Amino acid sequence: MTSVGLATPAGRRRTGAPFAAGTFGQRRRLFLLALGLPSLLYVIAVALVPLAQGMWLSLFEYNLLRPDRRAFVGLDNYLEQISDPVVQQALWNTLVFTVLAVGIEFLLGLGLALLLWRDSLFNRVALALMLVPVAVTPLVVGLVFRALLTADFGMIGHFAAQWGLSGERGFFGYPNSAMGALIFIDVWQWTPLMALILLAGLKALPQEAIEAADVAGASPWQKLRLVIVPMLLPAIFLALVLRTMDAFRIFDSVFVTTKGGPDNATNVLMFHAVKEGLEFFNIGDASALSNLMLAAIGLIAAGFVLVIRRADRRMLG
Amino acid sequence: MGGRAVPLPVLALQRGAILFALLVFLAPVGWLVTTAWKPAREIFSFPPTLSFTPTWDNFATVFRFFDVAQLSANSLIISGVGTLLSLALGIPCGYALARSGWRGAVGVAYFFLALRMVPPVATLIPFYLFMRDIGLLGTWWAVILLDTTLNTAFVVWMMFAWFRALPPEMEEAALVDGASQTGAFLRIAVPMVKPGTVACALLCFMLSWNSFLFPAFLTTADTKTLSVALLTAYGTKDITWGTMGALAHFSTLPIVLLALVLNRHFVQGLTRGFH
Amino acid sequence: MRHHRGLAGIALGTMALAAPFATAQEQPYSGVTLNVASMNDQFSGPLVVLAPSFEAETGIAVKVDILSYPELLTKITADFIGETGGYDVVTMDIVWAGQFAEAGHTVLLNDWIARDAEEIGVDDIYPVLMQALGNYEGAQVAFPFAGYANVLAYRPDLYEAAGIAPPQTMEELVAAARALTDREANRYGWVANGQRGPAVAQDWMQYNAQMGGSILDAEGMPALNSPENVASLTVYKTLFDETAPPGAVDYDWGGREESFRQGLVANMQTWSVGAAGYDNPDLSKVVGNNALMLAPPGAGMEPRYGIGGWGLAINADIDETRQAAAWEYIKWVTSPEVQKQMAELGGGGYIRMSTLADPDLNALYPFLPVIHESFLNGDGEYRPRIPEYPEIQDILGTAVNAVLAGDVDPQEALDAAQEQAMELF
Repeated sequence: MTSVGLATPAGRRRTGAPFAAGTFGQRRRLFLLALGLPSLLYVIAVALVPLAQGMWLSLFEYNLLRPDRRAFVGLDNYLEQISDPVVQQALWNTLVFTVLAVGIEFLLGLGLALLLWRDSLFNRVALALMLVPVAVTPLVVGLVFRALLTADFGMIGHFAAQWGLSGERGFFGYPNSAMGALIFIDVWQWTPLMALILLAGLKALPQEAIEAADVAGASPWQKLRLVIVPMLLPAIFLALVLRTMDAFRIFDSVFVTTKGGPDNATNVLMFHAVKEGLEFFNIGDASALSNLMLAAIGLIAAGFVLVIRRADRRMLG
Repeated sequence: MGGRAVPLPVLALQRGAILFALLVFLAPVGWLVTTAWKPAREIFSFPPTLSFTPTWDNFATVFRFFDVAQLSANSLIISGVGTLLSLALGIPCGYALARSGWRGAVGVAYFFLALRMVPPVATLIPFYLFMRDIGLLGTWWAVILLDTTLNTAFVVWMMFAWFRALPPEMEEAALVDGASQTGAFLRIAVPMVKPGTVACALLCFMLSWNSFLFPAFLTTADTKTLSVALLTAYGTKDITWGTMGALAHFSTLPIVLLALVLNRHFVQGLTRGFH
Repeated sequence: MRHHRGLAGIALGTMALAAPFATAQEQPYSGVTLNVASMNDQFSGPLVVLAPSFEAETGIAVKVDILSYPELLTKITADFIGETGGYDVVTMDIVWAGQFAEAGHTVLLNDWIARDAEEIGVDDIYPVLMQALGNYEGAQVAFPFAGYANVLAYRPDLYEAAGIAPPQTMEELVAAARALTDREANRYGWVANGQRGPAVAQDWMQYNAQMGGSILDAEGMPALNSPENVASLTVYKTLFDETAPPGAVDYDWGGREESFRQGLVANMQTWSVGAAGYDNPDLSKVVGNNALMLAPPGAGMEPRYGIGGWGLAINADIDETRQAAAWEYIKWVTSPEVQKQMAELGGGGYIRMSTLADPDLNALYPFLPVIHESFLNGDGEYRPRIPEYPEIQDILGTAVNAVLAGDVDPQEALDAAQEQAMELF
């Protein structure tokens, strides 16, 4: 477990305290403990109480608006959610959305990061402006795209329907193109964030390795594939995990564009959970659902770790 | 790429691509911002058109019904304090985990990551009651505390990765030379991961800045943020685009400025150390 | 953008209402500040504008927090559940009455209304609104504040050009919608909400009620797949396919209204509240070319006009002084004088016969008699105001959208919906 995708040669060096024993080693450990403990205590204090309550509530049939009907049901909420075909389809929709959105964001983000790598005034200003989408509340982003993409009088949607780029009902009017539109919105908003993390990784790469590749006469593609990407793996891993976690919890754009339609085509887990929890206030079901989501995201993150560790091992022989 | 000169045609191509990307990223925000200058009738048209008769009315409405200065101040304070707190907590922790050499460090890092994965649906109401019980409901601090939890988790995890990627020799050498542990951490290690830190700070700030659910739940009319006010325009029957567009001016500009300022520090941080 | 009219009238409004002679003795609640959670609707601007007048009269300050719909519901619910007393007065959507009544989070107003009946002028308030905008099985959980009627907004110019008379029955409306659709010219005969969720559910429930369908049976149990409902949904589907703008399958209220104001459609059933906007050149491209009429019932059916709107409720968690001050505020904003002021400022909702009969207002808004007539034969129950309503609306919202946007068979969709709805009871 110790490598966690930190596949760079640098990361592979001994990171452990080299000071075997004695007073310095102890002081070192104490110092590190003092650095690490505050945030651990902080998050435990602030986050764990509500989290534990969320776990506890998932064992109840409990609607906040009908508090007198509260009843302990054990794991029934979980079983009910897992066997609900609507939830199953929502899971599938969420997975499709997450894989496609994050995949496209990664490719575009890497491209942008490479383009912006060289430090210049132009690139600095471009990066700053590029971050604007990230700064807009996602709900508002959804509303803006709904306005632009709507079939009959939207700035984009009108012409898209006329030129046959979308069906006549517009992008949101058909199951596949509605999902496509939601992916597009996500890509629009979060590619810059992906680019930012990858760019930070690029900026931290040791210069001499890249120069060595230049000296060896590597083509740009070889350089990218054999030198840059392997060394960038920690940043790539970071970016992918972060985006995957957030994309898996997609809610805002669905809420303001399709509300999960047509039919159930864009009904994603988080939208379903928020409806249960904050609209119907079925807090038991909503808690069960969100715990299931947590488990699913955890599994995906664990999957990432496995993949990255394999890459690790292969790289280092 | 790194530092060598790029042939002019390649540079032109690169900049062309960047400009195209900028167009795609900015045009929708541009549309939102221009709605503020349009009379409602012209926000949509059939067929759509780009021309409009400018009007000041939407800003007049916004200043009449919203305390824009207060909203901006709330947003700045919540995002700013939250970010500083997250960095202050998260950077040392990330460093400690990376340098501990302890096998369980990764597990702890994952614990932090897991916190950030929790869907807020189930935890929000318990957190709301928790804030009520300690008397912070409706204050900036309720949002700051919650944002900081998630952002700290994120910073720890991200800085853990950056510090792990950073060879420890420099600090070790400094320690052998008699530097204090704090000195080795603050003066050697932290500066070397500057790009990562800047990215972290930007991300924390932006995520707090545009978050809706937490401030909507936890603030009152006096402490609400711009992001929440923006959504006020989402009415039962209509979306008051002009209001939203006018408010969007105030919510995007600070981010661009902040990104510009921080970008100056977003340069090759590491290379110096290696030679 | 809805507040333009309000802004123009601000100065006049506040000056006329200020009552500087009020003394401390007449102001038992002086110094209290009421927090009002207001839906962002046409009335919210006027509420802000008129607050200083109320303070001048009573010494009670009013802080209006304007909120979006999802924010309003979650925030006030959290406030109630947490017993935090953050808001003293909240605007309550007509369909929340059942939930509010069952949970008991708001002050029951029955006794106060009886006590102050004369002062309020209860007889002046439309009975259907008193019932629909706050009464649930006898418990008055909110006081009517802004009543809306379902009306037909149409384009007389298009009807005239086609030589058709405006429809008297739903069947005539369907025929007219077909006749007035000209896809080549981008003109459509009819529009309604198609977006999954509340949007499509509410518009269909309205249409369904006019065609004699019903969501609940006589015993109050779900009857989503009754033959009447299936028949009406089948026609509804063809209306969407043949006469609505293609994008309508994802319209919510905003998109639907915009399509009418843009001159894209000839007929639209809508809430009366937006009507003033159709003749506002700032908002609309059909100025002078639109009119309101009573929503046509199905042939041979008693006219039952859909009622919607908002009531004002008092948070039960606040202390008695604040509750009393909140009641003073509610009486004030629903008084004939202030209701007229609100209407002049563009509020758009009505609860009083005297307001709808007011000559000044009729000069401003020529369509008021249509609203009056609708209120006299109003139906506030076509969306069942039961505690299970949000879930039923959601189930229907998915089923109807699946029929309109997917190609699911109406019978099949409503059968499945019925099965889900039964699980709630």
